Amino acid sequence: MSAPGQEGDPDREIEALLDLSERSRAKLDRLHEVLTTGGHYGTGASPAVVVYRENKLRLLRLVDAAGQPHAGPPVLFIPAPVSRYFIVDLLPGRTFAGHVAAAGFDVFIADFGTPTQEDRFNDLAYYVDGLVRRCVRKVALVSGHPRVNLIGYCLGGTLSLLYTALYPSSVERLVLLTTMIDGDVEGGIAWVAHRMGLAGESYDNPRLVPAAEVKSWFEMLAPGANSQIGRVQDLWDRLDDAPARLHDVRTMATWVDDVVPAPGRLLAELYQQFGPGRNRLMVGTATVADRVIDCAAITMPVLAVSAEKDLIAPPEGADAIRSIVPHAEVMRLPGGHVGIVAGRSAAALWDRTVEFLAESRG
Amino acid sequence: MAEPKVEKETTLVERWLQDQQQWQRTVLSYVDSMTKNEDFLVHLGNAMRGSLLAGKAYPAPPTPGVPAPDAPVDDRLDLVLHAVHLLQGQMQDVLMALEELRGTRTQQVLPLDVPPSAPPRTRKRKATP
Repeated sequence: MSAPGQEGDPDREIEALLDLSERSRAKLDRLHEVLTTGGHYGTGASPAVVVYRENKLRLLRLVDAAGQPHAGPPVLFIPAPVSRYFIVDLLPGRTFAGHVAAAGFDVFIADFGTPTQEDRFNDLAYYVDGLVRRCVRKVALVSGHPRVNLIGYCLGGTLSLLYTALYPSSVERLVLLTTMIDGDVEGGIAWVAHRMGLAGESYDNPRLVPAAEVKSWFEMLAPGANSQIGRVQDLWDRLDDAPARLHDVRTMATWVDDVVPAPGRLLAELYQQFGPGRNRLMVGTATVADRVIDCAAITMPVLAVSAEKDLIAPPEGADAIRSIVPHAEVMRLPGGHVGIVAGRSAAALWDRTVEFLAESRG
Repeated sequence: MAEPKVEKETTLVERWLQDQQQWQRTVLSYVDSMTKNEDFLVHLGNAMRGSLLAGKAYPAPPTPGVPAPDAPVDDRLDLVLHAVHLLQGQMQDVLMALEELRGTRTQQVLPLDVPPSAPPRTRKRKATP
């Protein structure tokens, strides 16, 4: 028989089991508390009013505590239409849009909403020459400024770039965040989607690509961590965190996991124009509704930001903006695709963006 | 002289009993939330998939061979709805053009109606996106 304190001591083993039981129960109690408490889940952190609606799109204008728009030049955020808009307005104290508004800009956000079956026919022109153009037009109207600052994130950056090339006189300054330019740079969501059959997506007979399928492409970017076992293990480990931190994690999870269905025609066109092996933006043959995109028309100041650890839009692919807009200021930040915009170190991006936008004021 | 404080040491059996009671409380809190709050089951299901997604179920991949429940039976209605959305956009362009014209006209009239020091209510548009 082993001496007390040594391996094999039954009392010690029972105590260890009771400790494990207590820790596990504490995690489950914390999970219960988090799941039964409300928070900022999918609604945006800053007060806002809707100034324009079209189909599922809502154009939001941030307002102050008194319900008045912020004074200053207009800034329009264009997020990716395949995810929810509130990544740029995540949490009180952690909102990119709120930070820009607090710095003295009249901030607008395009919320593309959630597509339904009839939206599977929406193509690139519907977004660029339709929704984005009318958002810019509306912002110019309600703000009284003929030129608008654009901030495009991810695929929203692609839409912003195409729009700016078509209508350069309406854009004051352009900011592109983690926006893929060179589709031949291997890796990222475009390549995963390519390997998982995006080439088979039909332009003429499109489907509404289910959210679960779009989500599966993102999960394939990091198959181990994104497997169900990996995710459950990660959540179990996180349950040691304080409830306040878990609420923040939940807000972020609500954005990451709430992917929306995607219009098949849009995906087919994006793939045919910008996908691996096509790369029409880089070779100067990209089109929107048969109009050739001439990036030489983009003469206003441009800031392009990439993320060092971006699995969705590899930084080399985003930095290739230098090839098509040579005067663009290119900045690479430490962090990932989402982290640089809404993570704990996002202030670096927010501050540089505000500085860049403020340069117009002289 | 003060008596030395004697603390009763919890025996393993007592600790095990307390642990069992705590587990009952935890389980009851979950059962209680399940019966009172329908969303809780969805959120618990998401947590069992490793996600804290709130407000909706974690996107589940479709079962192979089974058509999606919202798969369209007929393209025609969706094509009509899509065309209506395109028309809605064109109508919005017309309305915005009128709004811009009204703004320009107001600006042209304003200098005659207001003192020179007053700021114009609208600014002249240089470009029309």
